[in-house]
Amino acid sequence: MSKIVIQNLNKLYNPNKPNAFYALKNINLSIEDGQIVILKGVSGSGKSTLLSLIGGLSKPSSGEILVNNQNIAKLPDIMSSAFRHQKIGFIFQSFNLLEGLSVYQNILAPLALTKLGKEAMHEKVNQAMQLANIEHKKDQNVGSLSGGERQRCAIARAVVMEPEIILADEPTANLDKENSFIFIEILKKFKLLHKTVIIATHDTLFDDLACIDRCVQMRDGELLE
Amino acid sequence: MLRKNFVEYAILLLFKDRNDHLFSFLIFSFIVFILSSVLFISDSLQYDLIQSIKAQPSIVVENTRAGRAYPMHEGYVYDIAQMAGVSSVEGVVDGYHYFAQKRLWFHVIGDAHLAKDEMLIGQGVQKAMAELYYEDEFHFLTEERLINVKIDKIAPKGTNIISNDAIYLNPNTARAVLGMEMDEYAKLYVTVPNPNEVGQVALKIVEIYPSAKATTQADAIGAVRHVYYYKGGIFMILYVIALVSFFILLKNQVGLVYGEKKKEIAILRSLGFCIKDIIALKLIQNSVVSVSAYLLGVALAYVYVFVFNAPYLRNIFLGSELENSISLTSVVDFNLLFLIFLFGVIPFLAFVILPAWKIAISDMSEAVKS
Repeated sequence: MSKIVIQNLNKLYNPNKPNAFYALKNINLSIEDGQIVILKGVSGSGKSTLLSLIGGLSKPSSGEILVNNQNIAKLPDIMSSAFRHQKIGFIFQSFNLLEGLSVYQNILAPLALTKLGKEAMHEKVNQAMQLANIEHKKDQNVGSLSGGERQRCAIARAVVMEPEIILADEPTANLDKENSFIFIEILKKFKLLHKTVIIATHDTLFDDLACIDRCVQMRDGELLE
Repeated sequence: MLRKNFVEYAILLLFKDRNDHLFSFLIFSFIVFILSSVLFISDSLQYDLIQSIKAQPSIVVENTRAGRAYPMHEGYVYDIAQMAGVSSVEGVVDGYHYFAQKRLWFHVIGDAHLAKDEMLIGQGVQKAMAELYYEDEFHFLTEERLINVKIDKIAPKGTNIISNDAIYLNPNTARAVLGMEMDEYAKLYVTVPNPNEVGQVALKIVEIYPSAKATTQADAIGAVRHVYYYKGGIFMILYVIALVSFFILLKNQVGLVYGEKKKEIAILRSLGFCIKDIIALKLIQNSVVSVSAYLLGVALAYVYVFVFNAPYLRNIFLGSELENSISLTSVVDFNLLFLIFLFGVIPFLAFVILPAWKIAISDMSEAVKS
């Protein structure tokens, strides 16, 4: 069964202006439940835009994005935010942690929107930290973490709500080789947990990885599959 | 309804950014402190003056000629006493004596309980006289002669709002000091037992003596309120609020639209916070800052005015050349405090929430990439 179905998707920036341009042109893509998909392409090819549309962070100019058969492209803010909260985990190239807070407090952020009790929240945060192997740094301020640790904190935060879909935008771009391999190990855990993962990257490290189900090439906003 | 976890996380983020909020907190506390102090002083003085007016008779009559105060003779007392509704008329000697050595004006009031050569003086007068070594006796210098009067008593501090610049003298001595004839009065105190007849009697007095001014208690209270509404500073309040709110606006606008704060909103949006959540988050954080700053400002103002007697600010309101050491009566007008809250806290919140909303509705994809 298809987890994500994208039909005739277009994204036009600066419409009705001289500098208008299409970031995505007529994208059609179908991703199965539990698949790990790599979006490959050079900078500006539209990988990040596609991820942000799938995650409901921005709205397409036209076309449909069906997740579990629900068109998220037309959802009002309150519903698309709830969808993002419950179904999507984002991992960004620049980690996007809340500076000044500890690892634990960063991972707690999505749980602030829930009605869970203290114990349940604590358990969820602990599970997420174990999965990302960052529990030993839980009380440390994120400002004092290394790049790899920051990445693992971001991963723990992305999975704390146990989302069905994980979207990673250039997850290894700011990591050294050792930490990139740690990320791949976590990716294998995602596979075991049957998460649907889409990774936008141009890192060759992901080439020929056994856990990758599919590789989609993008150029100038178009799919070259 | 706001969830407990959400409120706790909002407070956590507030403490994370405490240094950013400290500026707004201090500025806002300062505005509330200034405004509350002004209102406390103004209300306290108004209250004391109105109480003293209420202790006076129903109508005070003064005479004028060519726009200047002019004394009244016994005939006025007789005519007014004959009016229907009037129970008594008392002639009062009242005027100002210029103390040339200190360049000060003393308020001279006739008091029949005092002997011809003794006087009761206010604390401000006593201080001014003592500086020139008039401690037991004072010499009033008139055009004709020097009048020596014994300083008998000093008015208690609690009456300073009225008595600070006052000298109470036997009426005849007061007349001599003020250059009045023996059967003349500066004011007439008219007692009208029925409050409903006071206005009518005041009109009748002016009909008989068109140059006279008949001031009822209500007129006097209105005049005090007018003076203190002006001095209490409706204009000052609006001016200060507008000015300082502008700085808060600028600070918060800059802080929210640019830099880390924009990114923080984008991160929270990517984690599933909707626009309403972002606004609620900012509302909680800034409500905590503004309400706590408001309470601190009001508490500091209360201590400054009613515990320390408002040093520096007090003299602006008393408007006397004599140093006045009155104790301000603790009077708190909750309506005006609510008005400060309304004019202060609501713009404070609006200036933060509007930019936050503007950021929250924008496309987050670029902000999370940077």
